[in-house]
Amino acid sequence: MFTNLKRILKFGWQGFSRNMGLGSQAIFIITVAVLVITSLIIFNELSNFLISQAREKVDIAVYFKKEVPESEILELKQELSKFSPGIENISYVSRAQAQENFLQRHKEDPLYLRALEEVGENPFLSYLNIKAKSPNFYAQISDFLTSGPFQNMIEKISYYESEKIINRLFSLTNNIKLGGILLSLILGILVVLITFNTVKLTIFAFREEISTMKLVGASNWFVRGPFLVQSLFYGIFAVLIANLVFFGIFNFLNSRIENWILGFSILDYFQENFLMLLVIQIIFAFVLGIFSSLIAVRKYLKV
Amino acid sequence: MIRFQNVTKIYRSRGNPVVALEDVSFQIQKGEFVSIVGKSGAGKTTLIRLLIQEEQPTQGEIFFKGKSIQKMTERDVQYLRRKIGVIHQDYKLLKGKTVRENVEYVMQVIGAKDKDIQRDVPQILEIVGLGNRQESFPEELSGGEKQRLAIARALCHRPEVIVADEPTGNLDLYNTFDIINLFKKIHSFGQTIILATHNKEVIDGLQKRVITLEKGKVIRDDPEGKFIL
Repeated sequence: MFTNLKRILKFGWQGFSRNMGLGSQAIFIITVAVLVITSLIIFNELSNFLISQAREKVDIAVYFKKEVPESEILELKQELSKFSPGIENISYVSRAQAQENFLQRHKEDPLYLRALEEVGENPFLSYLNIKAKSPNFYAQISDFLTSGPFQNMIEKISYYESEKIINRLFSLTNNIKLGGILLSLILGILVVLITFNTVKLTIFAFREEISTMKLVGASNWFVRGPFLVQSLFYGIFAVLIANLVFFGIFNFLNSRIENWILGFSILDYFQENFLMLLVIQIIFAFVLGIFSSLIAVRKYLKV
Repeated sequence: MIRFQNVTKIYRSRGNPVVALEDVSFQIQKGEFVSIVGKSGAGKTTLIRLLIQEEQPTQGEIFFKGKSIQKMTERDVQYLRRKIGVIHQDYKLLKGKTVRENVEYVMQVIGAKDKDIQRDVPQILEIVGLGNRQESFPEELSGGEKQRLAIARALCHRPEVIVADEPTGNLDLYNTFDIINLFKKIHSFGQTIILATHNKEVIDGLQKRVITLEKGKVIRDDPEGKFIL
């Protein structure tokens, strides 16, 4: 058993090292497969990041009429906290604070400052900024505010203004996700089929040898074993090449991507999750290679 | 040891039946040296392919040591093939392996120990005159060298039967008689040998049993026959 295993490993290595021409095609295709699968994982992570970023940016602001005293607003804040467990955070911004915020934001922009001077009095309204744990709660919160005893205090709720944008954003991110899954599926199937065909062609070149091995009395495993070992070598080299390509590309593109997609460092993500990605790549490459070899050899074993 | 019982093999060529063997019956005892002669297309190679279950007969049955080959399991067929060393007309060498590895492979298949392989393989290669070509690949060999490699591979694991399909077809006269003498020597140790050939001088020199095939039929079976067609 051990001797046979040792021999199968040796034959596998011999087959691999002596047929680099044929093997390099298989390695190339499996490398592409690994690149595609890893890219899909990274793309999925990126779209999750974008979705969570979008979710974080969504909140609603409730603006109060100028005459409403601060104590009533704070009372409403307390009521709201009690009302819904879906609320993550409520912050109160007074009129003075709102003006201060505006001044801070536009301190280098004289046009805005002059406009504010022209108005004379503080034109800003005090407001509550409400952040929910999930976007689904916003409609509920908004209903509570407009239908309850507080409705007379409220000047406007920003939710109504941005509702369409919020909804569009969510449908867009959902569509991106769905599109990603569909794309992954199609690409995945394509990559598997192409790899399978390439491995099949590689093994086709050995069909006469396979038949000879069978005719001298070799068992099926003694014949197919080396081909499986060979496909493991293809997998190892493909994973190695794919990761070198990724490191090269991400190193080169990292700063550009980081600027483009605010705050997502693709290189950091790749380095932090390298072990997980590597395990997925190896399993994927091995399963793909072994599965393809098994099916391709099976045809020629019937001697 | 080997029994062909009313064996018929019909191939299909573009839908038309081509009879390769027709109602062939004979027996070969352990330790016999049997030559099978006939013109090209007489059915010699088909006979060998049927014996190692490379092909199935259309009718009839073939027995090895009393067991029907057609009823053997896949595992039994593996063991059968290990017991029959075949020298194929087209050599059937492993192109990706060196001369030494080709011979080693057969011994590895039967599970021989590494030290036995290392001892026996160079010896058998010396015997067939390939001692200095051990690390060459089959495509680097001449026709005669390929044939001698095929012979070495068939003999190395000491099978119970040696079947040779035109083993001297690519050899010059000098080498031909060397190989035939080798077969005779192996036979003298009690080995069963089946030799398919159309080399008249070889057959006439052997003075052993000759089965003559013509158009797929056994037309003669002489215990000490000559090449008569």
